[in-house]
Amino acid sequence: MENEDPGLPCKGGMDLPEQKRGLDPTDRYGDESCSVSEKQEEAPAAPNNGPLNMVVDKVNGQEELREAPEELSDKDVSDSTSIDNTWEDSSEFRRQMVIGDGPSGEEEAVIQSRLATYRDEDVTAESWRAHRKHVFILSEAGKPIYSRYGNEEALSSTMGVMMALVSFIQSGDNSIRSIYSDDHKLVFVQQGPLVLVSVSHTLQSEQQLRQELLYVYDQIISMLTQASITRIFERKKNYDLRRLLTGSEKILDRLLNLVESDPCFLLGAVRCLPLPASLRDSLGTLLQKAITPNLVFSILVARSQLVTTVQEKTVIEDCRLEPTDLHLLLNLIGATSAFQTGEIWTPICLPRFNPDCYFYAYISYLDSECTVCLILLSTDKDSFYSVSDCKKRIEEGMRTQNYLQALSSGLKSPSYSVGLVGVPDLRHFMYKPLDIPDNYRQLPQFTSPELEGPYCSENERHRLFDLYHYLHGRIHSTSRPLRLIYHVAEKETLLAWVTSKFELYTCFNPLVTKAGAINVLTKLLRWIKKEEDRLFIRYPPKYSTTPNPGKGSRAPRTDGTENGFFGGGH
Amino acid sequence: MKPDGKVVLLGDMNVGKTSLLHRYMERRFQDTVSTVGGAFYLKQWGPHNISIWDTAGREQFHGLGSMYCRGAAAVILTYDVTNLQSMVELEDRFLALTDSASPDCLFIVAGNKVDLTDACAFLPESEDKQIEKPPNSFISTKVKKQVHVNDAIAFYRKILKYKMLDEVNAPAAEKMCFETSAKTGYNVDHLFETIFEMVVPVILQQKAEGLPQTVDLNNCKTAKNTHSGCCR
Repeated sequence: MENEDPGLPCKGGMDLPEQKRGLDPTDRYGDESCSVSEKQEEAPAAPNNGPLNMVVDKVNGQEELREAPEELSDKDVSDSTSIDNTWEDSSEFRRQMVIGDGPSGEEEAVIQSRLATYRDEDVTAESWRAHRKHVFILSEAGKPIYSRYGNEEALSSTMGVMMALVSFIQSGDNSIRSIYSDDHKLVFVQQGPLVLVSVSHTLQSEQQLRQELLYVYDQIISMLTQASITRIFERKKNYDLRRLLTGSEKILDRLLNLVESDPCFLLGAVRCLPLPASLRDSLGTLLQKAITPNLVFSILVARSQLVTTVQEKTVIEDCRLEPTDLHLLLNLIGATSAFQTGEIWTPICLPRFNPDCYFYAYISYLDSECTVCLILLSTDKDSFYSVSDCKKRIEEGMRTQNYLQALSSGLKSPSYSVGLVGVPDLRHFMYKPLDIPDNYRQLPQFTSPELEGPYCSENERHRLFDLYHYLHGRIHSTSRPLRLIYHVAEKETLLAWVTSKFELYTCFNPLVTKAGAINVLTKLLRWIKKEEDRLFIRYPPKYSTTPNPGKGSRAPRTDGTENGFFGGGH
Repeated sequence: MKPDGKVVLLGDMNVGKTSLLHRYMERRFQDTVSTVGGAFYLKQWGPHNISIWDTAGREQFHGLGSMYCRGAAAVILTYDVTNLQSMVELEDRFLALTDSASPDCLFIVAGNKVDLTDACAFLPESEDKQIEKPPNSFISTKVKKQVHVNDAIAFYRKILKYKMLDEVNAPAAEKMCFETSAKTGYNVDHLFETIFEMVVPVILQQKAEGLPQTVDLNNCKTAKNTHSGCCR
């Protein structure tokens, strides 16, 4: 449904096809002028009988082919021979890779696999095939680098097939983007010498899956930098990148779990810790004062939620802290051993800020439970002691003002309860303001209550986020974007709404009426308005000006060799 | 404020460097995940502040080793007694990183994870050294020891040779090789406390000579021999 006025009458709800089936990819191209009633018949009744649909992108990026194979010969396809050939390849691919299973099989698989370590999974087992989403990374030479489940070594022939697909289509001056089968989507992303493949039977759109693969790529970049990866593979085409990534699999595993369960990745926004504005301001001032030359970013987080951040003045002109960089940094920190007594000093790249350079990150926890974390990013690798000194000043300031206690009282629960809004029909929501003050446009934020009620088990959480992903995919569809969608699912009713001022996703209990839902929205928006100073960073701290910023303050140094990240690799 | 002396933990990934330090500092064993970069800890030892750097063993961070080692007063080269390769790596990859350490740096060889080995299996070394994969935490059965104390002692002598130090002046190999278990706590306190005791004279000497914390290697080449006998 695509009307802007939530008050307009709607035709009725629709049931989503069961999640294991996946959406018929062709429905994006169907006439959706009134998608609600139409989809009701179409979606469950029309599992695509053609085995696979393949989307090949002309290198110019404009032309998409999305045809069932039997129709293919009838079409005037400029490159039909190569498509036909690829077709044969891909059906073989499907035999190996793509298995559709009943839901029970899937659930069992999830439980079973949790018991064993994913890395040791038997890649020939049904349970392996039944995973919701596989992610593979390989090098252009076809060398396996990473597999989300199972040992990548055992998958080398599968990855070989993937590479064959990629290079075959490449030889026709095309690049493969995706393959659709009746219940799986395969999405391909090529970034420099790396190929990333997602094989999923979730409700996520191709666009979302592509975005996730880019997050994975960026996480690798955050550890190695793009420049050094390019250099490594220029020198040795069949280099085994696992040498440099061993020990980092957990970081990628964790990221892939997060992108499925934390809306910050889906929304591309930062989650702020709800705090009284005055406390947030004081903490910002504290960070602003505790600076040293070449200190570029000071970031204070609590349980992966942003408290406040300060950045060096000269940096702001050309660059800014992107939510993605913060998410990836927090994921990396979360996947790392941390003890309160230790202070970490490590090179780290912020891929969206600059994919080719390292910052030196100082990471330290301020409380014994390791919930409040201070991150200081410097461009000087020898500045550990002076940066550590900044931390001591911040710690001291927080102690004398009792800020830490004030912070931890806001940390009792991971977030806030949806009950605070005071409307019983509302189960959960995600709200991303789009009208944030100009000077803080660089850091999109969102707010979302804790998941409660029926969404306590992991399966239920996945189900809800699948629905959110589905709504997000419809709203942001490249072919037919929507502004408002009211969606009656099996066990809940959802409403997503985008205006120039916000992007909002809400989940109601299934018995809500349309009028009731609209009513709840009004109340929710009023509540958010009232709470916005607490929920968001409305007035960010002024930029800091570090004394005598040295040569490196504008941009970090480009030299990877100096850091020796791949010095031992050859 | 800069600490008085620096102790660095080096060794291949997954040998238990972080666990060792955690056992010593926090008095408990906790499953850890891979370290990134290096982690800095401060230990009050008498009137001295001794800094301990726990480094990442992953090859990704390999080149950083010499940065963390700069000016170190002691380096703990850590291996896993159940994994021969981890000992080989010490010699191949990590020993060269200590070039940036203080010229009178102490070397300690520590074999961790003795709790995993079968205490009775003091069998002569067999040829099938490379077959066993590194032990994971969920393997409960005891595995055979792959590296013995004698190997560590032999390695220690290699270090002295590499550093061109005279065995007579350097601390005795038997004193500098430890076998530990971060999991049970076996020998961990002994390891660190011995090191701290030995580091203090080095600190005092450094202070007396007013040596800067960071040592320029090029200027210290000649100093090596004169300092070598100081730590006993």
